[in-house]
Amino acid sequence: MNTTEALAKAETLLGSVTVSSDRPQENRLDIDIKTEDLQKSIQILIDNEWGYLSAIVGVDRPDKPADGEEITADTNGKVEILYPFCEGNAIVTLRLSVPYDNPVVDTICTIIPSATLYEREMIEMYGIEIKGTPDTNKLLLPDDWPEGQYPLRKSFKGLGQS
Amino acid sequence: MTTNKTNKFTVPIGPQHPALKEPGHFEFTVDGEIVTGATARLGYVHRGIEKATESRNWIQDVYILERICGICSHVHAMAFAQGVEMLANVEIPPRARAIRTLIAELERIHSHMLWAGVAAHEGGFDTLFMYIWRDRETVMELLEMLTGNRVNYSANVLGGVKFDVQQDQIDEIRKGMDKLEERSRYYLEIVTTDETFLGRTRSIGIMDKKDAAVLGAVGPTARASGVERDVRVDVPYAYYPDFPTVSITDNAGDLEARFVVRMKEVLESVRLIREILDHLPEGDLAVRVPRRIPEGQVISRVEAPRGELFYYIESNGTDTPERVKVRTPTLPNWGSVLALAVGHKLADMPMILVGIDPCFSCNDRMVHITNNKNNDQVWSWEQLRQYGIEYYK
Repeated sequence: MNTTEALAKAETLLGSVTVSSDRPQENRLDIDIKTEDLQKSIQILIDNEWGYLSAIVGVDRPDKPADGEEITADTNGKVEILYPFCEGNAIVTLRLSVPYDNPVVDTICTIIPSATLYEREMIEMYGIEIKGTPDTNKLLLPDDWPEGQYPLRKSFKGLGQS
Repeated sequence: MTTNKTNKFTVPIGPQHPALKEPGHFEFTVDGEIVTGATARLGYVHRGIEKATESRNWIQDVYILERICGICSHVHAMAFAQGVEMLANVEIPPRARAIRTLIAELERIHSHMLWAGVAAHEGGFDTLFMYIWRDRETVMELLEMLTGNRVNYSANVLGGVKFDVQQDQIDEIRKGMDKLEERSRYYLEIVTTDETFLGRTRSIGIMDKKDAAVLGAVGPTARASGVERDVRVDVPYAYYPDFPTVSITDNAGDLEARFVVRMKEVLESVRLIREILDHLPEGDLAVRVPRRIPEGQVISRVEAPRGELFYYIESNGTDTPERVKVRTPTLPNWGSVLALAVGHKLADMPMILVGIDPCFSCNDRMVHITNNKNNDQVWSWEQLRQYGIEYYK
């Protein structure tokens, strides 16, 4: 199955959960899904043996502040979470967003147990709550890291600085 | 450690432990001798590199990212440079692609030999460790001759490579390849025939093909279980489109297979290097890349010695990246190994963990064994390693 066929197959398989889609590169298909459809979408790919989960990527999307103003911990915004699956050269990325005031997403460890390490990183770096994830211990940050400080959010400029 | 079958022990190992050269924490819950649960704690050398890339420009970020890892520094810089070149819609000259690949394959050789020596040491086979590391000096000296450094070659720039390969260097490399080929064939024979060593590796730590595929194992760890996953083959980048390589697999899925795959990959790298040197194209070493990179997002993947290295790079149109996500190969391999540790013997844990060729700089970690009678035992890695060696005597 070459790249074009692989992407076409994925597009068909994920039709029911696709809110919108994009082709950012020739070998890539990005599919925006609803947060509540995460487990369903992952299950579709796994059941059809389409690729493997390569990473879980978080991207902070704070609202653009007014001119001259800084992004602070009070700025509203959301965190985009990407789940890229690789099948040879073809990459299908499931994308969803969770708002800062309700940063909750389901675990995918019930389907892919090895995802626990990726989910732990999302929790501590972005302040995401992952329902049902088996291990919520810090992965990279020290145990005494202060609550509410999420290093990969744009508003974080270092401990002790707002 | 007392082995009372009704007690559950959790054995903590680390964070500082002489065997794995960097700190990490693993937690194994054991019932007698059998592992019933495993988890890891990483972060002891976490340096906040992803965050740092967001406040430095694209050029500065090459220098930061190539320092994520000493063993696989070149592939990190290459993955990043490739991604930026994709965003900037820039094609680098063929000679640059060839040199990037040449150094990447030399890096693969040094890395696999480093691992083979360390893994031999884990299994108590110190003579093999010493011999392999002596022969590894051949490739270290070639890298120093080409780049000025044994570690952190800093060969990549955005748009190409920093330095050229001269004819006399090419001759040296060929001599080095002859030597490495001879030695690697010898080591391949040893790891597949030495009785004592096979006792520690054959049929130990088996990961079957389906598990390796679904759990997302990558690199030699996956290929040793028969999963044909190799970014150089699946997504040919740099010079691989012109000079393809093959995905080397084994079906046993055990520790022996992981040795065999890596030694065969060294031989394949030798072949590839010779071929590239035979057909080195003329031309420039680099092209200009603009200071401000156009808006967009790319995924750049390369095959590091440990497996697929995944970069997600997003540009907001300025001279500073919006986001650089680095997912190193050891992370999914940890995930797969921890998921499968259950049911194995504690004495096999050092070899199983080392079997994935863990890179701490890329990840970083430690081990913990707990006892349900609140009689926690904290073991150093050296204790766990000795336990494994004694067990098999």
